[in-house]
Amino acid sequence: MVSDAIGNRIKRYETLLKEMWAASAKYLGAFSVSLLMERVVWEVSLEYKEIELLQYDQDGVSCARIAARLEENPELPVEDMFMKFIARYVEILAKLLGYERAEEIRKRLRILGEEFNEDPFAKGGMKSGEDKNRH
Amino acid sequence: MHPNLFLNISVRYWQDFQDTLAKAINANIYIFDANVTPFSHFSLPVEICQDVNGGKEPRDNKCMDFYKLACASLGEKDTLVCPYGIKLCAYRLGSHTQKIGYLIIAPAKHTNLSDREEEIAFVTKAQNVYRTVNEVFNAILERNLLGLRRLELNSIYEISRLMTSIIELDKVLELITNSLIIIYQADLCFIGLREGDKIRIAHGKGVRGSNLLIGKEWPLVHPVIEQVSSQIEPTILHIGELKGLPGFNDVEIISISQVIIYPLWTALGLVGLLGIATPASLDDIGYRNLQIYTNFAAVALANATLIRRLEKEATTDFLTGFLNKRALQDVLAVELQRAARYGYQLSVIFLDIDGFKAYNDTYGHLAGDVVLQKVAELIKNSIRVTDIACRYGGEEFLLILPGTKGEDAARVADRIRRSVENYPFPHRQITVSLGVTSAKKNDSVDMLLARADQACYQAKELGKNRIYLDPS
Repeated sequence: MVSDAIGNRIKRYETLLKEMWAASAKYLGAFSVSLLMERVVWEVSLEYKEIELLQYDQDGVSCARIAARLEENPELPVEDMFMKFIARYVEILAKLLGYERAEEIRKRLRILGEEFNEDPFAKGGMKSGEDKNRH
Repeated sequence: MHPNLFLNISVRYWQDFQDTLAKAINANIYIFDANVTPFSHFSLPVEICQDVNGGKEPRDNKCMDFYKLACASLGEKDTLVCPYGIKLCAYRLGSHTQKIGYLIIAPAKHTNLSDREEEIAFVTKAQNVYRTVNEVFNAILERNLLGLRRLELNSIYEISRLMTSIIELDKVLELITNSLIIIYQADLCFIGLREGDKIRIAHGKGVRGSNLLIGKEWPLVHPVIEQVSSQIEPTILHIGELKGLPGFNDVEIISISQVIIYPLWTALGLVGLLGIATPASLDDIGYRNLQIYTNFAAVALANATLIRRLEKEATTDFLTGFLNKRALQDVLAVELQRAARYGYQLSVIFLDIDGFKAYNDTYGHLAGDVVLQKVAELIKNSIRVTDIACRYGGEEFLLILPGTKGEDAARVADRIRRSVENYPFPHRQITVSLGVTSAKKNDSVDMLLARADQACYQAKELGKNRIYLDPS
């Protein structure tokens, strides 16, 4: 059973990812969104193995397994992991949807993500390979 | 090989490993990436480095200049002395073709290694560390690369299954461009379909301006297109070579240096071209995987194009280019539903060419076909682009006018009547009779058509070359 504190910590990311999924699937279709998720999960997993616990299918996204892992290991850097995931996702999304449409989605998501310390929706997102943990 | 794979190694985890190694050999270790940017921190605090740099990595300009110069000219390994007198061992990580970065190993305490034995022991230790670190990095790179290949192959497998089940051209185009951008991180991906003697760009995605390529036409005789389409293998073109093609001036090409263009061949011939610009050059396996993908794409596009053509031919009248009677039923049903849902008027005009049988019998079928084509052209010129024209039968036409009430439709009908009457057809004057009616609540397709037909019959009965507006 996941505690309330952990649950709340993960919930906001899950809400954001669900919104991202729905907004992208509207334009790209579920197959392309699944492919995009698979790609970004792979990239982020090179640094944060736990992202592989993210569950996604035609119906959407679930962070339940990540929450359970966080319960076992509260030191898990989930914030960094999700920030990197979202930034990379949005970066590829811009190429797929065109920058204008991606900007609309980015604005909508930014409202949801206002409480985050960092802005994963900064224009263009973090570049591939950038590592905010460096130094 | 992807240039960023190295940077995807978690620095946090790497630093733990490096620090443990440094403690075990009692020497300081730090790493620069291929651009001589610090990758990891100093493992052990070195007094002089702390004093000069005040932190965990070289920041002092003298230090950074030294490392930039030293690494740039470094062969496989070298023993160097830093500007502050620390003797250190430097190694290049990776290979000549795949430079990963640089490993620096320095004594943990300030020493100039003046003692020969001390120096030999230190260099031996450093050499062992280098071998270990290099092996670990290569293993990580191999693992990353295998992961990427697995991702590529899985995606190609899934897409190939999907593409054989999708027949709508727009969906096939979307699926191909999306997946190439996702799998290969393409900055630009476009597909051009062959239309006779030209390539018409049907889809384009990626950097800003990529979508402006859509609709552009490139003649097959254009030197670049001729070069690409005369081969089986893909052609790699520098972006400058593509600038002469319509649309490329609008593409934001800052991040693009070259584009790989695949001619899409199937048993039916050249279907089109697929262009892709990836941020990193592909290795042999990458090219082969992409070739497999484009082979599937070519077959899927050929199928979808063929089906679209067949569908169009099945619903189009060959002689006039209007919808045929088979398509009319479906189109009219949709328009009736739409009118009912949004509450707007819908009118139809039934047109019959007067005395057409006699004209045909007297002057021949070819002359009759000319009349049909010309009447169709006059109709087309008299209606809006939102109106729908169908060839209903031999010399009968039906026009659907969404959002138009009966009186306005009658005016359109009379405009058509006059334009036919005044056109100088060969042999003799041609006239038409037209019946006009509007859709009523709960009308079916058959009910509406029957009223329009009846109205046209009335126009004939009243002496031809006239219109009749159904009063009901």
